[in-house]
Amino acid sequence: MKYLDCFRAIARHRTDEIVVASAGNSCQAWWAATRDSVGSFYLDASMSLSTMFASGLALAQPELKIWAFMGDGAFCMNPGMLMVERQMNLPNLAHFLVSNRAYGATSNAGLPNFKDNDYAAIARGMGLERVFEFSSLETLERDFPALKASNAPGHTFVVLEVEPFSGDEQKMEQPPFDGPELKFRFGRHIESVTGCSVFGYRI
Amino acid sequence: MRGKTSESARRIADELASCGVKLVASLPDNWVMDVIDTIEHDDRFIHVPVNREESAIGLCSGAYMGAMGSAALMGASGFMTVVYALTKINYTYEIPLFLMATLRGAVGDRHKHHVSNGLYLLPVLDAISMPYRIIDKPDDISSISRCYRHTRTYSRPMAVLFTRDLLRGGL
Repeated sequence: MKYLDCFRAIARHRTDEIVVASAGNSCQAWWAATRDSVGSFYLDASMSLSTMFASGLALAQPELKIWAFMGDGAFCMNPGMLMVERQMNLPNLAHFLVSNRAYGATSNAGLPNFKDNDYAAIARGMGLERVFEFSSLETLERDFPALKASNAPGHTFVVLEVEPFSGDEQKMEQPPFDGPELKFRFGRHIESVTGCSVFGYRI
Repeated sequence: MRGKTSESARRIADELASCGVKLVASLPDNWVMDVIDTIEHDDRFIHVPVNREESAIGLCSGAYMGAMGSAALMGASGFMTVVYALTKINYTYEIPLFLMATLRGAVGDRHKHHVSNGLYLLPVLDAISMPYRIIDKPDDISSISRCYRHTRTYSRPMAVLFTRDLLRGGL
């Protein structure tokens, strides 16, 4: 499955979900697919912390549905995050592991043990129950609505097997925002949809 | 001495609650076990034990974006592993974060494996321009609220560092 096609398909199924994208390619792909700068937080250079960030947000705002993307390069730096996620077991969090079997943000540099890593098995081994895998656009389009509609308890882990970015795709634009601008755009959006006060004052 | 240290832990918990902290993400250090135990059993908090200190930084940063007060609690050694996360998330996006750590390797710490923390913890904090306050006695615990509020003004992280005298007594 092409990386960008996969993200465009997921974007088509999105309704009101809040998104946290991870360093490198997932930020590029989500920005290309959506151009969203308010309901998506591009946690660039976070190196394995996008789903922890998303977990904190999901815990704080349980009525929001949170999607968090993370590449398998980031995942292999901190797979123990799944222990924390399983322990928190937040039903409003979906962790999308984007498996391109490479360090995509660094020109597809080699990932350790990339041929044999079984991310779904790792997740199940840590006790996660809602584990899904998609390796083709057809099954993603077919089954994603059921995944999204499910009202089962516990957080969701989705493995997306995608092709690494091509050379041309690597040149796609990064979300063109400095950190504080993203913080305020995103935070004001969270305030508007929940009524909470992130920054302690309103403008 | 256990009674005195538990009293410090209770006062730390009260101080955190008073400034709106709900989530506490922790990784242990022997010195903060009373604090962790107190928070774990206090209904005012959601305590999340994490797999590594960087995960605490991610969790607390996300909680901030959801308007939930939070604190990361860790040992000095753990702090030494989170510089990347702090600078990339909390400095880049200017996301406040309140961090509590132990002042290991200082006078009174008899563990030789913490000598490196004694040598480098404070210089590392200075190197990343991260403000900190050392809390050495129970009467100083009330400064936690001021430091917490400073993270919201400063829009970056700040640490309070607990000494052995505070957490374990001065023996």
